[in-house]
Amino acid sequence: MVALPKSAVSQGRIPDRVSTRSTLHGDTVLDADVVIVGSGAGGATLAAELAEAGLDVVMIEEGRYWTTRDFTAEASAMTRQLYRDGGASMAIGDPPVMFQEGRAVGGSTVINGGMSWRTPERILERWRREAGLEHIEMPDMAAHFERVERRINVRHQDPETIGVDNALLKRGADAKGWKIIPNLRNQVHCAGSNNCAFGCPTGAKQSALVSYVPRALHYGARLLSDVRVDKILMHGKRAIGVQGHVVGEDGERGHRVVVRGKLVVSACGAIHTPALLARSGVRSPSGRLGKNLSLHPNVKLAAVFDEPVRGWEGVHQAYQVREFEGEGLLFAAVNIPPGVIAMTAHERGAELGRMMAEYDRTVIAGMLCEDSNTGRVRTINGRPQAFYQLAQLDAEKLIRGVALLSELLFAAGAREIKTPFAGVPALRGHDDTRALYTRTIKRSQMEVVTVHMMGTAAMGSDRTRSVTDGHGFVHDADRLMVCDASLFPTPIGVNPMETIMALATRSAAHVLDNLSRYQ
Amino acid sequence: MTYQHSQPTRRVLESLVPVICPPEAMELGLGADIVDHVALTMSSVPPLFRRGLVLGLATYDLTAMAWPPARGRRAHQLPPDLAERWWERWHHGLTPVQRELAKAVAQLLKFGCYEHPVMLERLGYTPAAWIDQVKRRRLQVYGDDIRKAEAAVLAPDPLRPPIRKKELG
Ligand SMILES: Cc1cc2nc3c(=O)[nH]c(=O)nc-3n(C[C@H](O)[C@H](O)[C@H](O)COP(=O)(O)OP(=O)(O)OC[C@H]3O[C@@H](n4cnc5c(N)ncnc54)[C@H](O)[C@@H]3O)c2cc1C
Ligand code: SF4
Repeated sequence: MVALPKSAVSQGRIPDRVSTRSTLHGDTVLDADVVIVGSGAGGATLAAELAEAGLDVVMIEEGRYWTTRDFTAEASAMTRQLYRDGGASMAIGDPPVMFQEGRAVGGSTVINGGMSWRTPERILERWRREAGLEHIEMPDMAAHFERVERRINVRHQDPETIGVDNALLKRGADAKGWKIIPNLRNQVHCAGSNNCAFGCPTGAKQSALVSYVPRALHYGARLLSDVRVDKILMHGKRAIGVQGHVVGEDGERGHRVVVRGKLVVSACGAIHTPALLARSGVRSPSGRLGKNLSLHPNVKLAAVFDEPVRGWEGVHQAYQVREFEGEGLLFAAVNIPPGVIAMTAHERGAELGRMMAEYDRTVIAGMLCEDSNTGRVRTINGRPQAFYQLAQLDAEKLIRGVALLSELLFAAGAREIKTPFAGVPALRGHDDTRALYTRTIKRSQMEVVTVHMMGTAAMGSDRTRSVTDGHGFVHDADRLMVCDASLFPTPIGVNPMETIMALATRSAAHVLDNLSRYQ
Repeated sequence: MTYQHSQPTRRVLESLVPVICPPEAMELGLGADIVDHVALTMSSVPPLFRRGLVLGLATYDLTAMAWPPARGRRAHQLPPDLAERWWERWHHGLTPVQRELAKAVAQLLKFGCYEHPVMLERLGYTPAAWIDQVKRRRLQVYGDDIRKAEAAVLAPDPLRPPIRKKELG
């Protein structure tokens, strides 16, 4: 047998500079140059950049430090461990939108699909124009994107990892003559295990857990996992640290933790950053804190083929259909485990049994829709609650998306397609697909989900219309920064991780260029 | 947090398994396991949501008594055909609360059903074996590259020299 390499990420041990609930035995008080709350795409990137430059950084993460060895295909267990609220978070509206976010060291990057795309140029230009951001267009941003892409190994898949479901998506797009491109993903020889949403069991996906977090630790950063920050400590308008508590195995409150810092950063994601700021008494004169929530609403359909598909064998989303990018629609094949498919299906009883019996011949495909409406995150008793009303325009876009994607899947040989619209019978051919355009489909019939929450502490040059400046510093506060998906002034129409990381890299450079302000 | 069903909640859920899950779930005797799985899932959802579900299930059970065809029986006591009709009444109910409750409960049961190892085996769903196989292949074929990439995670960046501590004051 060939000797397997000793892989740092597969050793399955927690590094020395990480404190967990088992090592935080009493109340803790620490001092640092920079304290960062959240260790996901934004927080971990900023931590690594600043630690490498020589700053004393403390990251605080509510979730647990899981190692590559902990990740398995047990969807139910993994969801409970890695997803906030067991993956059942809900934005209230018509329809309610189920959303998911990670709660673990590495944040949502631990459970994400690894799609790594630069912000489209038209979006950067829009941010310059509408939010008044400077040095945000591609000539300035390119260096930050390149840096991120090097760190997280953004590249195309090895061909042997592409499974039948993705090959069928490509077959359909080619038959229609539609533009389809191979996805760029942050991976080192991804094995195509199709487990991205439950943690990468091979260590191939370069989530923050195996890239930016170890890098930050290597350059001296400290990480407190299992610690939830309750509030930012303010002295007048100046942020001087954070206060939180150790989270016990069953979620119970443990010892108190205080970390004082010269710069305080909220990187809790677009749902929890506005709540943390609100709990800490930070008010935005713009009144925009928590508002401007975009979601990239997403619907999925299930296409049954006569040939075996076995969608769990091979990487998910190997391709993206970009033909309708101009309309704000992207399509991809995304295999989902049986439990989750059954859960979101409209069928029940014997009908559910018949549908699920065809699971191994089913291609699950989904779409990302660039939304035109915004919702908000309200903080109720200290907890965030999202509200989001799907715009009629976006509902129509989703119907069109389902019709187009169905056309593609029929062209690839699908026999029957289940739509995400309750009460709409399965489609059996092009006539049914065309009929979707004329059928009345109410928003309440739609099964909408999302994993891209953005925009709730948006950047902008005008303090009356934005929460932070162009580098994430909260207007009208001192030494308080946001560094996560909250910063987006608008939705971006592509997967957001790389944009968040590039903005964090850019913010780090700004902090380092202006260090004297934080002494 | 660890949540456990109360007896009344458990009874209602058990009575809903044949309504929501495919017949083979009952034939294979998986009802109790599925209801246990619902408890596991409920332990990780937001507390408010969990309380809402428990309260909703109690209401679902009790209000059946006022439905003439039930003839004073609670939902969990209804024979199969009436149990189906009662659930459908909620699923297409007049209030969003009824509809959302019916949907949420069905989702939890379906998830529990198709997370059961016996059901997964029947579908031929074998992800663990696949992961094992491709994990091994990856290390065998690309071992050198992987080692290099892991070293690069920690390698200093030539483009950004560290700031000397004295500059930090
Ligand atoms: C299932 C899934 C698939 C996705 N697929 C893709 C994809 O393929 N490509 C892509 O580009 N994007 C994808 N995304 C989205 C992307 O991962 C997120 O947009 C991104 O990770 C968000 O970065 P963030 O820094 O804003 O927050 P996160 O990465 O979510 O990190 C926030 C962290 O803060 C912690 N935190 C929150 N509050 C507190 C507190 N009070 N105290 C301490 N810690 C706290 C959280 O536990 C969390 O770990 C996906 C997301 C999900 C959930
Ligand atoms: S598909 Fe690739 S990146 Fe995703 S979990 Fe498997 S090996 Fe990791």
